[in-house]
Amino acid sequence: MGEQPTRRGFLNWFLGTSLGAMAASVLYPLARYVSPPDVPEAQTDRVVAGKEGDLKPNDGKIFRFGSQPGLLVRTAEGEYMAYSAACTHLNCTVQYRGDLKQIWCACHNGFYDLQGTNVGGPPPRPLEKFKVNVANGEIVVSRT
Amino acid sequence: MSAEGTGSVARLLAWLEERAGWSFLVDLGKHKKVPLHRHTIWYYLGGMTLFLFIIQVCTGILLLLYYRASAGEAFESVQFIVSRVPFGWLIRSIHSWSANLLVFVLFIHMFSVFFLKAYRRPREITWITGTLLLFLMMGFGFSGYLLPWNKLAFFATQVGTEVAGALPVVGSFALRFLRGGDQVTGGTLTRFYGIHVAVLPALTTAIMGLHLLMVQKHGMSEPPAIEAEQKAKGQAGRSMSFLPDFLLRDLIGWCAALGALAALAAIFPWELGEKADPFAPAPAGIRPEWYFCWMFQTLKVLPPHVLGIEGELWGILGISAGALIWLLVPFLDRVPAPGNRLTRFFSVFGWVALAYMAVMTVWVYLPGGR
Amino acid sequence: MRKLILALILILPVAGAVFGGEAPTQPAGPLPRETACFKCHSEMDGEVAEPTKHADDDIHFLKGLSCHDCHGGNPAAPEGDMDAAHDVKKGWGKPDRVKIPEFCARCHADASFMKKFDPGARVDQYSEYRTSVHGQKNARGDEGAAVCVDCHGVHGIRAVGDSRSSVYPTNVAETCARCHADAAKMKPYGIPANQYSDYQKSVHYRAVTEKGDISAPTCNDCHGSHGAVPPGVENVASVCGSCHSREASLFRETEAKKKLNLSACIRCVVCHTNHAVLPPRDEMLGVGKESTCTGCHAPGTPGYAAAAKMAESVERLRERIGEASGLLDSAERKGMEVSEDRFALQKAQDNLVESRVLAPHSFDLERFLTAANAGIAAAEAGAAAGHRAFAELRFRRLGLSLSLVVIVAVIIGLALKVREMERRSRE
Repeated sequence: MGEQPTRRGFLNWFLGTSLGAMAASVLYPLARYVSPPDVPEAQTDRVVAGKEGDLKPNDGKIFRFGSQPGLLVRTAEGEYMAYSAACTHLNCTVQYRGDLKQIWCACHNGFYDLQGTNVGGPPPRPLEKFKVNVANGEIVVSRT
Repeated sequence: MSAEGTGSVARLLAWLEERAGWSFLVDLGKHKKVPLHRHTIWYYLGGMTLFLFIIQVCTGILLLLYYRASAGEAFESVQFIVSRVPFGWLIRSIHSWSANLLVFVLFIHMFSVFFLKAYRRPREITWITGTLLLFLMMGFGFSGYLLPWNKLAFFATQVGTEVAGALPVVGSFALRFLRGGDQVTGGTLTRFYGIHVAVLPALTTAIMGLHLLMVQKHGMSEPPAIEAEQKAKGQAGRSMSFLPDFLLRDLIGWCAALGALAALAAIFPWELGEKADPFAPAPAGIRPEWYFCWMFQTLKVLPPHVLGIEGELWGILGISAGALIWLLVPFLDRVPAPGNRLTRFFSVFGWVALAYMAVMTVWVYLPGGR
Repeated sequence: MRKLILALILILPVAGAVFGGEAPTQPAGPLPRETACFKCHSEMDGEVAEPTKHADDDIHFLKGLSCHDCHGGNPAAPEGDMDAAHDVKKGWGKPDRVKIPEFCARCHADASFMKKFDPGARVDQYSEYRTSVHGQKNARGDEGAAVCVDCHGVHGIRAVGDSRSSVYPTNVAETCARCHADAAKMKPYGIPANQYSDYQKSVHYRAVTEKGDISAPTCNDCHGSHGAVPPGVENVASVCGSCHSREASLFRETEAKKKLNLSACIRCVVCHTNHAVLPPRDEMLGVGKESTCTGCHAPGTPGYAAAAKMAESVERLRERIGEASGLLDSAERKGMEVSEDRFALQKAQDNLVESRVLAPHSFDLERFLTAANAGIAAAEAGAAAGHRAFAELRFRRLGLSLSLVVIVAVIIGLALKVREMERRSRE
């Protein structure tokens, strides 16, 4: 008869512990889920293209905007400008030419000015321009 | 369950008892009896449906911490949830799988109640609220399906709202009301979101509250056949108390369901699909979620015109008539008894309906079945 | 009276200048369709009515010029009077074929005249024409050489910018082919007649006709339009280089750095041919069967070794990219989200394009290897991302297994508890 309480005690312990483990395996993912992820929101219409100081004046860099490449340019005067980096001719990725102070496409020698207007070579249309804001040391590029 | 004897827990319970009188719930549970017979297994289904619904509410609330209901952001926000939010993939896949499991279990629950005649007096209100809950759950499914804003969902919604538009008299209003305009747009998405997270939950709270209240008030119904058997034998019939016996067994089922959902989410994650493009042509093979497929297929197989009236209209009216009969069955089969001809008719009606839905659903999935 | 005579003395010379003279200074006289010429010829049948059928399309007509402005004669002749209309004293006639360029140049080389119709119009077509093969042969009286009307048409001349014009970029090749694809016509000159059929195989032709991309070259973009001359072999690179500037500048850099003169290998044409410019393939690089390097670089030479190394690197890069891409695809199918990694893999693809350009145009092994190795690194990073995705997938499955173990433990615990309670209630 003394076995019964021991077995019951073990059973209660076993049930309690496994329920606790189950509760932990439910609460752990939940807790991780509600704590903010590394980026706070989906980067669709707005993206952080870089930090202030990433680019020297008269320089440019490629960043990702959704699924397309974008070009961030810091002019010689220090102003930030951003464009879609997909060339309007055959979609090659364009680059900034500090020597010409123009945007150049290496594939077929297409040129765009700093307004994004196609000024030389085959490209038929200007590059899409994006809005740039600098906030808290971050360069934020948005579509509208 | 035996109270853990330690002092602090006992003191806490005593504190709660003095203020909230919680022990009456325990007494209620202990006094509530669940009949034991060969059909007892079906009694677990109501609780299982409730459990899955609670999972939906919890995962749904978690999802709406990150979801955005606009055409420009909905798809990307779901992509964000499954890729950048820790365990977001788990929450999202559980929500999608549990929705399907919920409807499936709900159908089994409903049909088992139907065949076991649990709708008879005095449980008519329980049945009616139950049928209304079926409609509400299907509404949840329809509105929720659009929210990821992918191609399949977009066109399925287009087709579904088109069917609503075919209703006589109220059709064009219904279509515009659902779509928030003439076409499926971002406006439809926002509207469906509001319906999915506010309107339907509010209605469900009220109707499910009434449903559960009625279940508690009237207790578990015993099938007429069992009742007759017991009367013949002159026995009272065995039962188990809800608390703790039935509840423990319930918990086993719920844990198994939780495990199944976790496994489905990890092994068969729910697809993201492609972002909806209102200007692209419809892809081949659009269909609604499986629990709407039987209605969808019915409308497809009807000929364009029957006796001068559009075939689709016949289909809609037929399905609506079926739903109305279903809703009112407690008033049509008033005294279900084993020998009763009407009872047998409705049983057959139920089996025919079940078979029809099953066949029509499978048909949609057969290759070349459309 | 004296005033009247003075007025007449002043006016008459001016009137004479206005109504006389060789080239018409202003469209004078009746409107184009109201001339005796048009009215009579439009009512006839057959060949003589042809010119009037194209009046709506003809740019001369639309600008207000009419038959007599080129053919002379009397536009205001009384109706039905052919002799009065065909007045030789008023310059009526049809120029000889060989004299057509001079004839058109009467107006089209006259800047002050053309300015009236289009201030920005070029007026150097005639002088250009005289430098061309067509123009040189024409000057020697060759009737077979092309003259203005062979390309532009004679009646119904559309503006160059009109997409239906025979000299609009999408139509130029067909226009040139009228003679240059005709073996019989080309035989007396010893020119082959396969250029058009070769060109039709090319990427340039596909770009112009299928994609409607008029920035792609057609005959006149390389050969010139009025000054049409096949570019000399030493000039081919400049011609191709006017669009493919990157490759051209790489060639020039190589020539300068290595003090080479690559004109001996005719630069672009030796690998790509002149007309049948096909999409370049990796097989053209290296030392394989289809290689264009081995034509000059014999086995054992440094060039041969470099070519072999370059081909091997390009193939390795391509393979790595394919591997990474396949891994990411596979992970995605299993439910992992990989769009960001795919974007990063694009860099490897860009490096591949760059390596393919550097290899056969810069001939600089080191420069090529820098780009190729960067690409391989990017592709390997992509593959690493794919492996990470699979690791995450395995982590999920591991997590799942552990949770299932716990859940099963709970279920067992509950079941045992149930059994125990049943036993207790029986006692």
